[in-house]
Amino acid sequence: MKKVLFAIAFAFFALTGYQAFAQEPELSPERKQAIDSLALEKVRDLSKYVKLIGSKNTPWSEANRVIDRAEELFAPDAEIGVSSLAKTKIEYYKVRQYLERLMRLNYDRVEIDWYKIQYVSDLQRQPDGTYVGVITIFQTFKGYDAEGRLIYQDTTKKDITVYVKRKETQIGGRLIGFWDVLLGDMRVKETTKK
Amino acid sequence: MVPVLMLALCFKVDAQVLNDLGNIEMDERELYTMTKQMGQFINRFNYEEDQYGKKLNPNDPNFRNPKKRKDVLPLLFDLDNPRTAGALRDFFVEDLIKNNQYMEFLGGNWYSEVSAKFKWKGQMVDISMILVLEKEGLGSKWVLSNVFFSEFQKYFPQGELAEREKHFLHPMSHELDFMNIYKVFNDPETVEYYASTDYMPDYLTLFFYEIKQGNLKFDHVESVKFHIFQIKNWYFEVSWFNRSGYNAGWLISNLIYLKDEEKAALLKLYQPKQ
Repeated sequence: MKKVLFAIAFAFFALTGYQAFAQEPELSPERKQAIDSLALEKVRDLSKYVKLIGSKNTPWSEANRVIDRAEELFAPDAEIGVSSLAKTKIEYYKVRQYLERLMRLNYDRVEIDWYKIQYVSDLQRQPDGTYVGVITIFQTFKGYDAEGRLIYQDTTKKDITVYVKRKETQIGGRLIGFWDVLLGDMRVKETTKK
Repeated sequence: MVPVLMLALCFKVDAQVLNDLGNIEMDERELYTMTKQMGQFINRFNYEEDQYGKKLNPNDPNFRNPKKRKDVLPLLFDLDNPRTAGALRDFFVEDLIKNNQYMEFLGGNWYSEVSAKFKWKGQMVDISMILVLEKEGLGSKWVLSNVFFSEFQKYFPQGELAEREKHFLHPMSHELDFMNIYKVFNDPETVEYYASTDYMPDYLTLFFYEIKQGNLKFDHVESVKFHIFQIKNWYFEVSWFNRSGYNAGWLISNLIYLKDEEKAALLKLYQPKQ
């Protein structure tokens, strides 16, 4: 009998707990805007890191430290999917692998710049309640040889997945809620080449 | 092209307005006019974001503003295609504005078609996968609703009606312990004629079966496009245009005036089980 009562009580709490979660209100436009800014901050960090990693002026050890920082921005299983105008088939890389390839590119000088434009999608919820969005940014890449001649140039569109989750942490014995933002898969698509 | 150029001009952005990501000093109008995400296509289609890509609050007087929407809508069509750049487009835009028709992300009746290469019995083949958004738990997810693979379709040709009508088990067969059922299996090409008139081959199950059998192996995605049936009496297709100029990104690549009654049969191809 005790077992039955326990099962009923457990089911009741599990159900009410689920309902409380399910009834979590939708994000207000203001809250969404605040979260967009948080996500953009992460993308800005990433763009700074990419520039540093690609630069031939960054010492090897420093570039490796920056790769560690950049990797922390992403969810552990995130992948980078790259395609070019000539080769539309997507090549998949782990975040670290992608950044290490960038560090080892065989140019004497590299220029990586970002367009001012960025586009932030609406946030949608996936079945577990986590919000998902995509931020689109554009990058130009220029590679020079030892004589300073421009030998490769392209513009790429980067669509970066952003995961936003409500989390709680204890600070001084009090539970404080916060929005945790992590970057996910990134699609890199070449738009122009010269 | 002139109206689009005019529209492109309204995308000229003061760099100070935005919280800049980069530092490239150049004309970025092409990137602003490009419809960069399918979500942006929907927001522009409904006029739920301004020309800078900033989301409009539903309380904002510009939210879904018909006049501004009418100006932006032509930018969402492939202007190199006469089918999407002529009078039909103008009728469509007029209908959207007059009847306040909008697209809804979770509104159903829109599908993604992912064209991919697979290896099938040692050779590379083209398969189109149809995906649809399905609500689940606290949110939604894309799910497979059908596949198009010529090798599967070959097995189930429509067949001549006269030929189909020849194949049946008469209504008293049960009294003879179905001794005539062997006729069903005499010719594999006509086996499905013995199924119900409503019978539709389930290509998705065949697809899963072939994958589970190890006969079909995914290789890569070739392209993605969207089929939209949400607008009353219209069907349109949205494709990605990777090109320079002020008419690029996700754009309407096909537009058909299609009565809602006629849509039902077509929708069955995209989502046989609704």
